[in-house]
Amino acid sequence: MSADLAHTQPLLADAAAARTHALLRTAVPWYIWAGALAVTSAFIGGQWDVAWHRSIGRDTFWTPAHMAIYACGVIAGIVGLYLVLTATFSRSAYASQLRKVSVNIFGLRAPLGVFLAGWGGIAMLTSAPFDNWWHNAYGLDVKIISPPHALLILGIRAIDFGMLFLMLAAMNRASDAGDANYTSLRRIFLYLGGLVLGGQMFFIMEYTWDVAVHRVIAYVCLAIAVPVVFATISQASRFRWAATTISLIYAGSIVAFILLFLLFPAQPKLGPVFYPVTHLVPPKFPILLVVPAIALDLLWHRARAWKFWQIALASGFIFVALIFAVEWPFANFLLSHASENRFFGTIYFDYNSRPDGFDRLRHFFRPDSGTTLCLGLLWASLYASISTWLGLLFGRWMRGVQR
Amino acid sequence: MITARWKIGICTVLAIFLCASAHAHVGNKDVYQTVAAGPYKLFVTVRTPLVIPGIAELEVRSTGAPIHAITITPLPLTGEASKHPPTPDAMKASSSDPAFFSGSLWLMASGSWQVRLNIEGAGGSALASVPVPAVPTKIMGIQRPMATMLSVLGCILVVGAVGIVMASVREARLLPGSEADSARRQHALIAGAAAFTLCVLAVYFAGKWWKVEAADYRAGMHRNSELRTTLQGNLLHLSIGTFDTKNDGEWKQVENAQFLTDHGHLIHLYAIRWPEMDAVYHLHPIPDAKTGFSEMLPPMPPGIYHLYADVVFRNGFPETETATLAVRPGMTGAPLGSEDASAAPQPISAGPLGPSCRLPDGYSMEWEAPASLKANTPYSFVFHLLDPKGKPAEDMQPYLGMPGHAAFVKSDGTAFAHTHPDGSAAMPAVMLANESSGIPMTGMDGRSEMSHSGAMDMSAEPVSSTVAFPYGFPSRGSYRIFIQMKHGSTVETGVFDANVQ
Repeated sequence: MSADLAHTQPLLADAAAARTHALLRTAVPWYIWAGALAVTSAFIGGQWDVAWHRSIGRDTFWTPAHMAIYACGVIAGIVGLYLVLTATFSRSAYASQLRKVSVNIFGLRAPLGVFLAGWGGIAMLTSAPFDNWWHNAYGLDVKIISPPHALLILGIRAIDFGMLFLMLAAMNRASDAGDANYTSLRRIFLYLGGLVLGGQMFFIMEYTWDVAVHRVIAYVCLAIAVPVVFATISQASRFRWAATTISLIYAGSIVAFILLFLLFPAQPKLGPVFYPVTHLVPPKFPILLVVPAIALDLLWHRARAWKFWQIALASGFIFVALIFAVEWPFANFLLSHASENRFFGTIYFDYNSRPDGFDRLRHFFRPDSGTTLCLGLLWASLYASISTWLGLLFGRWMRGVQR
Repeated sequence: MITARWKIGICTVLAIFLCASAHAHVGNKDVYQTVAAGPYKLFVTVRTPLVIPGIAELEVRSTGAPIHAITITPLPLTGEASKHPPTPDAMKASSSDPAFFSGSLWLMASGSWQVRLNIEGAGGSALASVPVPAVPTKIMGIQRPMATMLSVLGCILVVGAVGIVMASVREARLLPGSEADSARRQHALIAGAAAFTLCVLAVYFAGKWWKVEAADYRAGMHRNSELRTTLQGNLLHLSIGTFDTKNDGEWKQVENAQFLTDHGHLIHLYAIRWPEMDAVYHLHPIPDAKTGFSEMLPPMPPGIYHLYADVVFRNGFPETETATLAVRPGMTGAPLGSEDASAAPQPISAGPLGPSCRLPDGYSMEWEAPASLKANTPYSFVFHLLDPKGKPAEDMQPYLGMPGHAAFVKSDGTAFAHTHPDGSAAMPAVMLANESSGIPMTGMDGRSEMSHSGAMDMSAEPVSSTVAFPYGFPSRGSYRIFIQMKHGSTVETGVFDANVQ
């Protein structure tokens, strides 16, 4: 009897391991879907929160927008805790498979992305009392970018990247093994890449509003923030149209917010009210990143044999030249009567938008010209080159991530 | 025995302190105001926040017709935004006292605000408005428990970041199931050291950023205009000016056209001999041509005086400018003006004054002093003017358009408030608030209309010999209270002491 058992149990264990392995090769693990949901929730929450502040003004901890942002942390926390506990302490066949694709940090085991997301969660938690103290010391939110908000955004971005890494490792393993779930994983990876790009644009939003894109600072911000994401996602995903895809996801999501937010009634609950608002104020029309994205995708496909620094140098100048060539005249259009409709959303203003302010008057805010503009664009091109180079290096490194 | 030189030194230090902390009144940030809105009588307390943007707390006690609900709306006193009120908020009625309501107001910018109250009750709907000057006055330091908690969490984040970087270099790119070799472990250590350095740099630059933000906030804090004085003989000249930040901080006088008339005068000046508070003058310097004010001082005992000059700017923002003045012995004086007042109570060091004040002409002033006084608690302080026979004075006259004026002054010089029976809000600000809310202006307990010039339309209605002042002491300590009421052509100044717990 005991001899039979001795034979049977390893066989059962092998069978379970085989089933687990087969499942991992064909299906997208639940925690990847949960991770994608978490990042989507934070992305929607961030846009919603800004619209809330622009239309209603007053908020509490319990606004739906805040709940959507915190849901990101909660979902990531549940996913992370489950994976850490399973990989570190469980003796199941699944745990055994999971341990093989885990890293070890201070005795705890889990895929790298889980630890990154966990770090983001702690950063978000730290930002909460810090932000509360900041309000008491320097007043309620008047700036999006303050030290506690920067820590919160950093936390959210760490969760974004944690989930991205979780997916990336699964995708890389699937690619190497030729698994059936590779295409699905790559699609989700690109989708998250689009949200990461949206996150970058969110961070520089105050510098890239339509009335500000005739300033050098707008192109400097774009040059620093965008090419790194294009290059990283392109390299990591191995997809020829990665930059184009994620820029379309970014633009599509913002246009969706423009059209959807108008459907939600909202009234200012704070003064001073300079502009009567009746619904959630939508975001500004997205920057036309898709144009340089197409160009960069084409370049990177043709320049595969080039050295990274060569690709980066060319990419930086192409990026700035094209974004300047399309966004500068497009901003003229956005500030004209021709754009005053629901789609472009140039007829909606914050409740505290002064009648003599640049936004309400539809005038460019302190536009640059001449030498300042030329030198500024030159510097922006160099920044974009460095940004691309970093993205290429990081993306290439990411290709090798297995855990 | 403190010498005169020491007194001057102490007073100078106090004056510097006063200038730094002064705004509307001095050391009194909260607004206490009584409002008559239709059949409703409200005592409104607005506790303004120390930082802006911030949340003001509002309390309303009703003593008139029963009230069912009150909604409140904050909006600027003047300008375009005063025409677009945000969505009102409902005040919460107390479960134990249906006549008491409380609520919160979000004040998102510094300046001259008003809170509009929409009242629903047994007598129908009514509207009232109370001016609220709101400016940031304080920078809060970080408390030790908060600093400790943030430091611990910060250390966890740094250690965590280093651990993640080391793990990513050591194991992230390993094939499933394989172990890291010694070279990878060595690379991980180097990467960990680099990550630690980057974290330290990030914390350093974040600290720099924090300091810049704090400096920005400090630069945006409200600073009163500066009062400068010159005294030649008994001719006092006052100049009110500000430091022009756009022009190398050059001191620039404020034009008199920038001030609103308050009770018939552009400026109300209290001069109180310091530190004994044994001589007080309520004067009304005359505006010079474009800037500055002049006053021929009455005979004043020599010493150091604290000057408190109340002005109201065109946007309804009130300020109490402060300075010190040294009066030398033997200064000849001009007769006191018909609208000016003075008193010479016993020195504060001689012991506290009681609730009954004997006046020089045989009249007396009585204070219905509460049994105990608590800081930050709203009171309605009631005073009676009695004739020499001890009966209510019959020949009462309005003094500067009001049944009475009061000044509450803390003995350490950190608080001064010049208030009226309507409350601590400046009258021109009340008028602007009512004008922007479309409320007909009433004064003197709702009996007389007030003209737009700021002077009262003297009603034929008799003035009562009893007057009540809504006010709350801002902090614990001893205060001296100066009450002015007029009978016939005599302006009486009653003086009382209060010990606030």
